[in-house]
Amino acid sequence: MLGFNSIQAHIFYLAQEATAATDATGGADFYTFANQLLNGVGIVGVLLLTGLGLAITFGVMRIINLAHGEFIMLGAYVTFLMQSLFQMDLLLTIPFAFLGTALIGALTELTVIRRLYGRPLETLLATWGLSIVIQGVVKLIFSAQLKYVKSPPYISGNLSVITGQDGTPLVSISYYRMFIIAVALLMLGITLYLLYQTPLGRQVRAVAQNREMAKCLGVNTSLIDLLTFAYGCGLAGIAGAVISSLKSVSPPMGQDYLVDAWMVVVTGGVDKLIGVLAGSFLIGEANAAIAFMLNDPVARVIVLAAVIVLIRYRPEGLFTVQKRA
Amino acid sequence: MTQVLDGVQRSTVPVKLFITAGIVFLIFFILPFLVGVFQTALISKLLLFGALAISLDLVWGFTGILSFAHGVFFTLGGYAMAYYLKLNLAAANNNYGGELPDFMVWNGLEQLPWFIAPLKFLPIAILAMVLVPAAFAYIIGWFIFRSKVSGVYITIITLAISSALTTLFISQQAYTGGTNGITDVAILSLAGIDITDINLYWVILIFTTLVLAGSWWLTKSNLGLILRSINENERRISYLGYDVASFKIFIWTLSAAIAGIAGGLFVPLNRFISPVYLAVAFGTQVVIWVAIGGRGTLVGPLIAALLLGQVQNSAERVTQDWQLIVGVLLLVVVLFLPKGLMGLVPERIGFNKLLESPTPNPSAGYVRAGLLDWFTPLQGALRSMQGWFSKDRDR
Repeated sequence: MLGFNSIQAHIFYLAQEATAATDATGGADFYTFANQLLNGVGIVGVLLLTGLGLAITFGVMRIINLAHGEFIMLGAYVTFLMQSLFQMDLLLTIPFAFLGTALIGALTELTVIRRLYGRPLETLLATWGLSIVIQGVVKLIFSAQLKYVKSPPYISGNLSVITGQDGTPLVSISYYRMFIIAVALLMLGITLYLLYQTPLGRQVRAVAQNREMAKCLGVNTSLIDLLTFAYGCGLAGIAGAVISSLKSVSPPMGQDYLVDAWMVVVTGGVDKLIGVLAGSFLIGEANAAIAFMLNDPVARVIVLAAVIVLIRYRPEGLFTVQKRA
Repeated sequence: MTQVLDGVQRSTVPVKLFITAGIVFLIFFILPFLVGVFQTALISKLLLFGALAISLDLVWGFTGILSFAHGVFFTLGGYAMAYYLKLNLAAANNNYGGELPDFMVWNGLEQLPWFIAPLKFLPIAILAMVLVPAAFAYIIGWFIFRSKVSGVYITIITLAISSALTTLFISQQAYTGGTNGITDVAILSLAGIDITDINLYWVILIFTTLVLAGSWWLTKSNLGLILRSINENERRISYLGYDVASFKIFIWTLSAAIAGIAGGLFVPLNRFISPVYLAVAFGTQVVIWVAIGGRGTLVGPLIAALLLGQVQNSAERVTQDWQLIVGVLLLVVVLFLPKGLMGLVPERIGFNKLLESPTPNPSAGYVRAGLLDWFTPLQGALRSMQGWFSKDRDR
């Protein structure tokens, strides 16, 4: 009758998503727990990648980007396209995913975000509208069917951390998880370098700290905004490219990551980028640990509740130095 | 002479508005005879969504709190009603042994949980339908509005609440029916007589009308004035000595109660409730109705819900990409029509003219303020109770 029945409730359990291919036949609780913690590390990588772009746009431009998930989805689709058209390796598609989403992000900034400056709630609405539009357009082009992306063969399999006497791995982590973390940390490093070691980064930080003053000192703030937003979207694209082979690629896939990415950003705070790392680490590991003790859904509820309490008492995030007003 | 007439017109109630509203109400009242059964059910549903949108408009359009959690309040009310209907069905034809609803039997529950059992009685169910969402909203409101948390963060909190509750309801399959929710509920009956769809339609129509009229009266009162000033300049209104947080909590709780009743009425109509309505997607849908209809117009969100629902109903037969149209519409509204579609209605013939209340009679303010004072002791009592738990809450 009416379309809400067709709106699927996208439920996303972080801990489930990280299925390390280990069988916990070791029996001992310690091994299960260790496995769970390593799974948590895998989640941290995903959270870090998805949260990073968001933290940059939120930190510098103070806009709430609800279309971030869709940029992740776009990145995944770029990877899918490259793979199906040119049989490209997943690693090689990453730059294309970055450039493609950054370009779309720049277009978005020019046409939509720029008009809504200083009105965070309006931006929030507009980006939500945008996310619906992007999803709709992608659905029109690629249809709603699930697409699958091949992960490169040389990063498959598991690394066994603790091996039992008969040679079965008791505690292990998949190489692909480690690859995700490596990419996430690399992107964090590159971003930190760009922000703190280049003249452009200095301008970006100036705009983040005091927009008016930066403008007075001759910084082209609108150009900085454009670049920042494009870069943030590009990071989302990289996240999408890397995540694409974990699950299937579909138009609503980005929604799964949106709420969690936001939780990471508000937990860590955007003052220092390292907060995003800390935030994703906290959320990922807390999720894994609670999921071990209770179960996945309860873990998610508890973590979300904890984040709500955290926002209430420290809206600026855990790792932010108190600013003078 | 004109001046005198003018004066007379000004000092009386907005006659034009009442006449227009009366005509519209009458049209809606006889509508079930003109359209088919399907349309009657659809319009009842859309009227409820309209009431939900109005309740969001109270907190967002007037007070400036953007919430994605109104779907949650709606669904909480809905679940209260669904339990009532389900339990009565289970008692009537107990296929699965005893009074247990089917999903509880399937999940190995042997006894009715204590917190669901009382919902078997209609008065308790109706109370729960209002009080559960209201109490939940009060707790949230008390928690977030008495802090330095502002605008955007509150919205993120509501997102998190919606996401967390969806997960919770899906995971507690034995108690909530999981992803399917509560299906196959009994037909609502009062004193042994089954309520037909057309009767339900009239109940819903009256409810929505009351919500609209009540909200209109509320926003025209002094309370509404304060709410709007909170939206415009929160700091200033707090410097004037108003306890901003109390007002926010009050309107937030009230709006959640309205949403809860709408949800409760929704279940006998829809015959099921599920976590779909808890999810962020439905919460956003409500936000979209309000944004497209026009924030702070009350009528706008209602019209938007009715129109968009009808358009969607016919569009879905043709295309699968109805959501894309909504997205584009939302973008256009946010970018170019900050007042929503109501902003398009020309001033001269518009609702704005109808809604214009006559110059307020200075003494009328006292009457309205008197009603407001009615709530004040309640607030005071609650605040002193809070004082028991925390020492340094002097302001």
